[in-house]
Parts: sequence; structure tokens; C-alpha cells
Amino acid sequence: METLKNAFDFSDFPRSDLVVAGVLALALAAFPFLSPSSFAMATMIQFFMFSIYGMGWNTIGGYGGQVDLGKAQYVGIGAYTTAVMLIRWDIPFWVSMPVGMCLSVMWSFIIGYPLFRLKGHYFAIATIATSLVLKDLFEVWDFVGAARGLEISPIKYHPPDFLRLIFRDDIYYYYIIFAFFLAGIVYINWFRKSRLGFQLRSIKDNEEVARSLGINVHWAKIKTYAIATAFVSVAGSFHACYIKNIEPEDTMSLDISILIALMAMLGGAGSLWGPIIGAGILIPLKSYLKEWLGARAGLVGIDLIIYALIIMVISAKEPRGIWGIVERVRRRKRRR
Amino acid sequence: MKILEVQHLVKEFGGLRANDDISFSLEKEELTGVIGPNGAGKTTLFNCIAGLHPVTSGRIFFDGRDITALKAHEVARLGLARTFQVYTAAGDLNVEENVMVGCFMRTASRTEARRRARRILAELNLEEHADALVSELPVAAQKQVTMATALGTAPKLLLLDEVAAGLNPSEIDQIMDTIRHLHHDLGITIVLIEHVMALVMNVCQRLVVLDYGKKIADGGPEDIADNPQVIKAYLGERYVAEHTGELS
Ligand SMILES: Nc1ncnc2c1ncn2[C@@H]1O[C@H](COP(=O)(O)OP(=O)(O)OP(=O)(O)O)[C@@H](O)[C@H]1O
Ligand SMILES: [Mg+2]
Repeated sequence: METLKNAFDFSDFPRSDLVVAGVLALALAAFPFLSPSSFAMATMIQFFMFSIYGMGWNTIGGYGGQVDLGKAQYVGIGAYTTAVMLIRWDIPFWVSMPVGMCLSVMWSFIIGYPLFRLKGHYFAIATIATSLVLKDLFEVWDFVGAARGLEISPIKYHPPDFLRLIFRDDIYYYYIIFAFFLAGIVYINWFRKSRLGFQLRSIKDNEEVARSLGINVHWAKIKTYAIATAFVSVAGSFHACYIKNIEPEDTMSLDISILIALMAMLGGAGSLWGPIIGAGILIPLKSYLKEWLGARAGLVGIDLIIYALIIMVISAKEPRGIWGIVERVRRRKRRR
Repeated sequence: MKILEVQHLVKEFGGLRANDDISFSLEKEELTGVIGPNGAGKTTLFNCIAGLHPVTSGRIFFDGRDITALKAHEVARLGLARTFQVYTAAGDLNVEENVMVGCFMRTASRTEARRRARRILAELNLEEHADALVSELPVAAQKQVTMATALGTAPKLLLLDEVAAGLNPSEIDQIMDTIRHLHHDLGITIVLIEHVMALVMNVCQRLVVLDYGKKIADGGPEDIADNPQVIKAYLGERYVAEHTGELS
């Protein structure tokens, strides 16, 4: 009961935030009816997916301060579980998605146990390594199509298929991922106020102090890492049904891991809205750059340069990202 | 009844013996001071007791249990809380939230944690700061917040590491009142490390003196002040000179 109440209680945000959030939510709900281009629809769906990845990352990376650069491996586990189960055994999304989530969480426990013996940069590098190892493995594993990947052929099904999440029109995908997005916000809103959420913020601040306050630091990190993983895996499963053609390269590459972390950091690590703000900026930018660069092959890689610039600016100017700036300005106003 | 018993505690860092065969025990509801020059091994002693450092040898009993091999969070859950010499509080949490982190050790409910945090803040006269970031507060209030956070864990034994360092005399008085209040009214057993002699001599019922990792004296404040070994090792020539000066 209390849990549910906390999850839907946003009252610690100023009224103005809630009004803005409400208006934006309505706009997002109405968006498909404004006859957007298919490019715009696709970009919005990517925005929701990356917001969910980012919200997941934000639990361990933002609230917990453990910079995780290996989230893409869970996009992969989620996507591959759903694709394999559908293609081989015709098992619908609503079954394969929780199965993928369980597999992801199990994998996160296995690697989380040793990973969280590491601190700071060593941790970040180790997460990259585990993700790349998994990608390499999938690239040679025939059962999952090796480097060719897997293809869900829509011809075999009868869209709209709500069980298998096979649709011809993006509008269905849009509303389904929008619902996941809203559920994610509600969950994180509970999480940030929960005991675990408080423990993580204490851990981020000073681990010795956290331990002296009765917090089992290692276990708290592993648990949170599993939560982060579950978020990413769910959106990964969705990715399989939506994209229909998955390869190790576009589900598990380092770019994706970095983009997930970067978005959350740009928007504001350790805040509810941060990852969403970050995705709202970077995903349209990325889509646009991709279109634009399609015509100018010589400029491939410019997106990486932009990411690098963003990282430098954030770490030098405001480690708490855009939301950090908003909060700082507010505090200053209040003190006057 | 003994609440804490330290037996032949040795802690080495490489070749350095930061704690060298230290033994002492505390009765319930005692208020004990640990003093000694810089680098004497006071903080190290706290770290060993609280399970932050594995000990090199020796045993530590808390409330009748052998806690020598326990981890810091396990020791904390048994009811042993501490503050840190340099640390103040979590930067992105406000005062109330900081205290709630402590309270969450005993409850998973946010409502309950907040209720307890508010009670503790009221107890320490910190209510007015509840919404402030710790970094916005004066040093004295910051120190009190660290005490409040430790109190959030509902400890039986509280270890305070230099809570009066860097405070002015009126703030020291205030901290002294707080410590006495915790001890008298709440019945918490307290051990405090302190360089501020006014505080130590005023509030402590008993003093343990360390020098170069060894315990060199243990007794009431008056005995310690007269103990020639302590005067020489810790209080130093200047103190001796001042006091003989006063007498003549
Ligand atoms: N983690 C550590 N690793 C190595 N040496 C340490 C460590 N912690 C403390 N020491 C050393 O142990 C000795 C005792 O240090 P400790 O911090 O316990 O002294 P202290 O009595 O608290 O001093 P102060 O009054 O300055 O706080 C010092 O020589 C210190 O350099
Ligand atoms: Mg010290």
C-alpha cells in the first residue's frame, strides 16, 4: 500500500514541474494524431526506448554513482531472447519478455558479483569488457544466427498481432512503448524514495560511511544493477519485435552502451527526469545526424565527436547535468 | 555489564603498528574519551571496532558478542554507530534525508524512517535545517547532522570522532550539551575522540590515552591530568609549563 502510494506520489516536485510534465505527457499521447512523418514516429519510438534504457542505467549509474558502460549487453539478451523464442517456438512477446528479463537478471548477478569488487574506472572498464565479450560470443553462436543475426519475418504473422507484438503501423508500437515508458517513470519514482534508493545515494557519497550505517554496499549495488538490467532487457525485447532484424552489432555495440550512459548524464544522473531529458535531446540529434550523414559518408563519426564534447562539458561544468543546473538555479532563488 | 571489550588489539599497516596491544572495556552508559597526540591511533581504533579495518590480532566483543570478524554493516546492525573525523554528510541529500539513511537501517518504510528522522532532528534542535543541504550549514550544525544520522540507526554504543574539531567556544558548548543529552537522557553509551581538552575534561567520566599506538593511561579525568606519563607524552612541555606557571 505504502509502496503504491509512494510510486504515484510526485508531490515533492514543484507544481510547475508537474504542469510541464503533464502537458508533455498529453502532447506525447496526442503526437501520433498530428500526422507525423514516419521518420518522426520512428524517432519518438527510439526516444521512448532510450528513455527506458536511461532510466534503468540511472538507478545504478545515477543514484548509485557506478558508471556502467555495458548496458548494451542486456539490450542484446532481451532482444535475442524474444527473437529466438518467437522464431523458433512461436512464443509470444508477453512470455518471452519476462523470460528475457529473468535471463538478463541472472546474467547480471553472475557478472555483478565480481564486477562490484571493482571501483571507479576499473568498474567502468570491466562493464565494457563483459558487454563486448557477450557480443563476440553472439557473433559466432549459430543458434542465434551468429553475425547475420535473426530476422522476424512479419509475413508469417497476421498483424496487428498483440500477443507477438507484430504490427504494420508504427502507431501500435508507439503506444505500447509509451505505456512502458510511463510505467518506468512510476517505478523510478518509487525507487528513488525507497530504502534502496536512499542506500545508493549514501553509497555514491561515501562507501565507508554507508557501511557504518548498516548498508551492505556490495549487495545493494548488485540488487540495483539487476533492476537496471531488467529495465534495459524489457526495452530490448521490444526492440526485437519493433526492428524485426537484430544483429549483435546493432544491439550490443559499445556505442549503445555509451549513448545510454551519456544521455542520462547529460540530462542529469541521479534525478527522475534526467534520463528523459537526455534522451529527448540526444535521440533526435542522433536520428537527424544519421539521415544527414547518410548523404555525406565522409563525415561518419561526427556523432562520436559530439558525444565526446558533451562528456567533456558535463564533467567540467556540471556533473549533475541539465537537471543539476535547474536545481542549482532553484536553490539560489529560494535562498534569496 | 560490559558493552564493549577490546582485548590485545593490534592493527598494523605494513610495518606500522597503529594500534599496539590495546585492551580496555566499557560499562554500559559510560561516557569515555579517547585522547592522544596526532597519529596516536585513535581513529584506527574506531575503525577496528566498527569493522572497517580487519584487525591484525586481538579480539573485540560488543554486547557479549565476538564482533572481531564481522563486517562494518553487520557491526552497525548490532547497534554500534559512529561518526567520521572528516566526513560530514551526503551532498545531494538534505538534512532530513541524510538522517533518514540512518533510520532506514531499522525500517524499510519511508514513512517510518521519516518519522524517526524528524524526531531525532527535533531532539537535537535541528528542525529548522531539515530542508537545507548539509553544505549550506555552519560547521557546528554539520557535525550535529552526522551525529543525528548515526543516531538514526538507534545505537547502543556511539563512537564520535572529533565532533568538536574546528568549532568556536560557544559551538563547543552546544556540542557538549548535545553529547550530555544523548548520554543522560537517552542512555546511549558514548566514546569520543577529542583534542579539545575543555570538552574532554568536562564531559568524560573516563579517559583512555593512546600514544604511538599504545595505551599509556586509563582512568578518571583528574587522574589522567596528573599522570606524569600522559603529561609528558601528550600534553607536552607547554602544558606543564603553563600549569606550573599558574601555581606559582
Ligand atoms: N588506512 C591506513 N593505511 C595506512 N596507514 C594508516 C591508515 N590509517 C591510519 N594510518 C596510520 O596509522 C597511524 C594512526 O593514525 P590514526 O588516524 O589512527 O591517528 P589519530 O590518532 O586518529 O590521529 P589524529 O588525531 O590526527 O586524527 C598514523 O601513522 C597513520 O598514518
Ligand atoms: Mg583521527
